[in-house]
Amino acid sequence: MNNYYLKRTGRAVLTLWVTVTVTFGLIRAIPGGPLEMLRARLVRQGVDPSRIDAIIQSRQEESQPIYVEYYEYMSSLLSGNLGESFYFREPVSNIITDALPWTVFVMVTATIILFAIAIVWGAIIAYKEGSTFDTVSSGLSILMSSIPFYVLGILFVVVFSYRFGVFPARYRTSPGVTASLSIPFVGNVLYHAALPIASIVITQVGLQTLAMRGNSIQVLGEDFVRVARLRGLPDRRIAVRYVGRNAILPMYTGFLTLIGFNLGGSVILEEIFTYTGIGYYMFEALINRDYPLMMGIFLVITTALVLSVYIADLTYGLVDPRVKSGDSSEAY
Amino acid sequence: MAIDQTTEEQVYSTDDPIVTIRDSAVTYDEGKSYVLDHVSLDLERGEILGIVGESGSGKSMLASSLLDAIPSPGRLTGEITYRPDGEEPINVLELDKDERRSLRWEDISMVFQGAMNSFNPTMDLRTHFEETLQAHDADIEAGIERAEELLEDLYLEPNRVLDSYPHELSGGMQQRALIALSLVLEPDVLVMDEPTAALDLLMQRSILMLLSNLQEKYNLTMVFITHDLPLVAALADRMAIMYAFRLVEIGETRDIVENAAHPYTRALLNSTPNLDAPLSEMQPIEGQSPAPINMPSGCAYHPRCPLATEECRTTVPDYHNVDTEHGSACYHWEESYDEVPLVYENSLDGTTGGENQ
Amino acid sequence: MKPTESETGTEEEFSFGTTQSDVEVTTADRLRNFYREFIYKPGLVAWEDNRTRIGATILAVYVFIGTVGTWFYRAPTTNQSERSIQPFQTMEAPLGTTSSGEDVLAMAIHATPEMLIMILSGGIFATGLAVLIGTVAGYKGGTTDRILTTFSDVAMSIPGLPLIMVLAVVVSPERAVVIGILITINYWAGLARSIRSQVLTIREHSYVEASRTMGVSTPRILIKDVIPNIMPYVLVNFANAARYVVFASVGLYYLGILPTSVANWGIQLDNAYSQAGALSGGGTMYQLVVPMIAIMFLALGLILLAQGMDRVFNPRVRTRLAGESRGEAEDDEDNAAPTEVMT
Repeated sequence: MNNYYLKRTGRAVLTLWVTVTVTFGLIRAIPGGPLEMLRARLVRQGVDPSRIDAIIQSRQEESQPIYVEYYEYMSSLLSGNLGESFYFREPVSNIITDALPWTVFVMVTATIILFAIAIVWGAIIAYKEGSTFDTVSSGLSILMSSIPFYVLGILFVVVFSYRFGVFPARYRTSPGVTASLSIPFVGNVLYHAALPIASIVITQVGLQTLAMRGNSIQVLGEDFVRVARLRGLPDRRIAVRYVGRNAILPMYTGFLTLIGFNLGGSVILEEIFTYTGIGYYMFEALINRDYPLMMGIFLVITTALVLSVYIADLTYGLVDPRVKSGDSSEAY
Repeated sequence: MAIDQTTEEQVYSTDDPIVTIRDSAVTYDEGKSYVLDHVSLDLERGEILGIVGESGSGKSMLASSLLDAIPSPGRLTGEITYRPDGEEPINVLELDKDERRSLRWEDISMVFQGAMNSFNPTMDLRTHFEETLQAHDADIEAGIERAEELLEDLYLEPNRVLDSYPHELSGGMQQRALIALSLVLEPDVLVMDEPTAALDLLMQRSILMLLSNLQEKYNLTMVFITHDLPLVAALADRMAIMYAFRLVEIGETRDIVENAAHPYTRALLNSTPNLDAPLSEMQPIEGQSPAPINMPSGCAYHPRCPLATEECRTTVPDYHNVDTEHGSACYHWEESYDEVPLVYENSLDGTTGGENQ
Repeated sequence: MKPTESETGTEEEFSFGTTQSDVEVTTADRLRNFYREFIYKPGLVAWEDNRTRIGATILAVYVFIGTVGTWFYRAPTTNQSERSIQPFQTMEAPLGTTSSGEDVLAMAIHATPEMLIMILSGGIFATGLAVLIGTVAGYKGGTTDRILTTFSDVAMSIPGLPLIMVLAVVVSPERAVVIGILITINYWAGLARSIRSQVLTIREHSYVEASRTMGVSTPRILIKDVIPNIMPYVLVNFANAARYVVFASVGLYYLGILPTSVANWGIQLDNAYSQAGALSGGGTMYQLVVPMIAIMFLALGLILLAQGMDRVFNPRVRTRLAGESRGEAEDDEDNAAPTEVMT
């Protein structure tokens, strides 16, 4: 039992270490390397060319063996120092601290909503397996899943923002709205987040609904459901405790990993909605070749995904009694 | 193609029946074919009745029909009457939803094959017992006490079992816990459908022994459905043999085992693995049992039967009285003794294996 | 999916004498059997399903456009027609032109071959690597398994899209084959994990054990006994991987992270979207809709195909349709009868 938790923890740490090492290697693999990047930056800042040469020269002389650089890179990461953004001229950690909560808010909300819909909808379809409602719903689910979320996002902006002007096309809040726990502020935040959330929910709910439908149909065919009916249990209890619970369980891990996955997708989504979360900054970093910011956000998103898988692993035993004593059975 | 069996009523009727089944039939295609083909049978108060048949012979349908619990979209017709001691008879098939709910489990209870899947894997056993009591408005505290007693009767540690999740128990323990769960509301009749199929031989025998103890202690009427003829012969008072969705032979266990009067029953006895019989003497039955969609005309066994004549191919045989309470649905039951000789001498003492270890 | 040789528990009854003659089988028979069991029958079951039929048809149309279509329809260049023609105005550019005079339909058609190559290379890379790692890990066990499983676990925990983006910026891939592989750089990991757990059960089957006892080499067992069993599952996931490649590549092209030298629906989207903003109206809507439809139908075809093939895994449905593989339904003796009636 302890072995299980130990293994999961080990895996999470190993993954983070591998990611950090990969980013370290990537920075060095970039054409031209860090020194060329420094030169480009100094040129952009309008520094005198002879001074640039001198700076590069001195840097080259003081460049250290790679393992020393690696050590310094690691230790600065552990102290929370992600470097400074070339483009925004700000510490990367500041940018992330400002942007991350917004992205997490949008993606977690969207994922919760889509799972809630998928669970209820999928279960109802399963109860009516083979009916017209089933056929229509399943077809609709497939149709919705064949739209990439960014395509729907673009469509939403063009139609609702540009054409009809009913929803904002950009930013997290309207200019001039100050952060507070007031109703206008919360309303404004929701107003700006509505379209991004809707595009995630609509395009991802289909496959989860089909998954829930499949799980529920399988559970409905189980002997224990038939026995429960014979024992005279109320239909509600059978639907919730028997069918619902056993059908939702396999989706639990998927829920947490989908949040992590969507954090990655935020790069495209936030570019479309000009929503200044970490995805938006990642996009800016990618376009402007702002490597410290790019790597910093990449590390943060990876950490988020690793953490959600880790949490899923650790808590799965709480929701499924079968795992508590089991050693090898895993969440996925 | 209903069979008129009324003239042979004395074969399957008993003196003091607790359940009577008349012309019970199940169809899944509006009567084009039957997976239970107009079966009539009485269940005597306090007896253990063994129903033996191959896979797909309709024996589980017969079991489910006792509780009006045919898996949908099957349709059950006929007449099934439950006669509680000293009360008005109840027509099982004409109950409304609430009445049916209280008949099931309170009066007639059932243990399914595959106990492994009969419990909700994400709920502990105590909750299973409690929710059952609650659903039937029974006193929970008294019910749990009774459950504990039942579990003890079945040689289980009550508290350990009640606080366990299903996966924490072995197959044999789950099966016994399921029997306890089926008896927690003090039913009169317990229907068991292949209750020991997934268990090893030793566990089968010990559960059989426990069952006969329970039957005595709680004055139960039991229906034991199985494919394992020798197994049930050790337990049952009477036996009914099913072939292709119909009953082909009914009689007291001793009569069936020692004096079988239907070619199918005799072939069954010859093919049955018996611990005492040498392997070379076991004879598999040639051919396959029919599916409901292409039932042979007349006696369904005729394609596999060495005694089949023109009569067998055209007309479904009625019961023929072998003895007062022993009937065989075969025109040639008398010839079957010679034509289908038993390869080894059957006697109840030899087949039991259930000698109370 | 599973062979039906094991007559377990309740099945072992009176009629057991009827099905025991298939001990001696020649290699040709075995091959024919494999073809029947693992390709023909699943294919038949999958084809029964409307979803498979529609999905396959849609894909066929894309392949046709991507191969023959590009020969017959002109390639897009700037100023090949009048600028900003609305759709359905002229036969010269049936779906209109962009503000730089490029034929919108030509752009969509000529983006197809590259997309198909990406799908193929990504799908083959992802499923191939997953099969290799999954089967070896599951079959070999021990240290090999531990190392490969940890490797997959780590690869699986790195978020795909950001990783691809960072790599794309660093590598700047130009060739469609490379882009396909890049996009599935860690997609294989999850698939490898589930193949591994399936192989774990397959290796316990008696025929695999028999091969092992007879001294058949591991690669041979993997190819002849193990891989055919997971084939339908792999095909379903090939379709899923392909869809992922479509979504991700279009997204990357849209963001402008991948080099724009190649025609792609994502580039069309990007151009049309930035114009739509500038014009603040629906005037360029058609330029958005054309690539959107191209993406959605391709994705739809792949989903339908995956869903239809997935049916092969549902033994309940498959038994009902294929009829003969009854041995699988081991626990529902009598209940199996009605399902047969319902066909």
